[in-house]
Amino acid sequence: MKSPRNLQRLGALALSLALGWWLWQGVTISPFQGITGPAARYIHGTARDTGAANVVAAILFDYRGFDTLGEASVIYTTVCGVALLFAKRRYRRSSHGLSFIVKRSMALLVPFILLYASSIIVMGHLSPGGGFQGGSVMATVTILFCVIYGSSFEAARVSPKVKETIESSGALLFVLIGLVGLVTGGAFLTNIAAGFPRGTMGQLFSGGTIPLLNIAVGMKVGAGLSTLFYSMVKILEDPTESSPPEV
Amino acid sequence: MSITFFAFLAAFLIVTALTASEARDMLSAVIALSVFGILMAIIFVILQAPDVALTQAIINSGLVTSLFLVAYSQTRKRGDDPDRENDR
Repeated sequence: MKSPRNLQRLGALALSLALGWWLWQGVTISPFQGITGPAARYIHGTARDTGAANVVAAILFDYRGFDTLGEASVIYTTVCGVALLFAKRRYRRSSHGLSFIVKRSMALLVPFILLYASSIIVMGHLSPGGGFQGGSVMATVTILFCVIYGSSFEAARVSPKVKETIESSGALLFVLIGLVGLVTGGAFLTNIAAGFPRGTMGQLFSGGTIPLLNIAVGMKVGAGLSTLFYSMVKILEDPTESSPPEV
Repeated sequence: MSITFFAFLAAFLIVTALTASEARDMLSAVIALSVFGILMAIIFVILQAPDVALTQAIINSGLVTSLFLVAYSQTRKRGDDPDRENDR
């Protein structure tokens, strides 16, 4: 019990307990003591500054839109790195998917999941959600395809090139929207001050650039995470293997 | 939301986190991590952060789990990692 590894573990345990106690204190304090500091400024100024109903989306895509561009490029770099890393590997195994019942139920469910994902993306400035979350749901759909229909199902229908194009055009769209602000004399990613319509708060067409940026990030994240998954699975059609049974 | 329910969630969160880090079987660890993600999402909803909860639910329980499972299925299976051998 006196090895350095166990000492490390004890230290980690003590640190975790201290952190946990600290966070628990945050839970048990009385919830409402008025909002002060930067939070008050954002809560009161969001509707006037951006026209978005969702304060989180307004902060993500307006107040700190440049940071969001940085985060998006982190994902882009990760996807490029993983795709590069797995480019040479070819796994020969291709699963044939699950049973007929699961495949049919999945086929019934997919339109609704896609609808949910699109609503998360498009209404990101009104309700919780946004481009990142909706794009992840889209990528989850492609992962479900891989699990249920077998790994070569999606790659045969949507080529990786198409996904890469969608991802890159999402990134380009984001930067182009940002450049509009620069052209009109403001800063990069300027929203309302660059002439984008504010709209009425709570309407679908409101919030200036925020819905557009949501769509751009949704394209990027959805295609990117899907590419990430499929470059790890990396099933290429193996001619020696029998074709999967028809549904 | 009663504080006891929150305490129960937090305690269960700790159990799943310990399982994920200490389980010898990789598959159990991955599933425990997925349960951890779901509980974390519930806690984020209780703490009134629905945006983060949505992200947490999708990323941790959907994407990360499936990525880990793919990595698990395409690597050698020993049941546990080599540096645990020294502890026995």
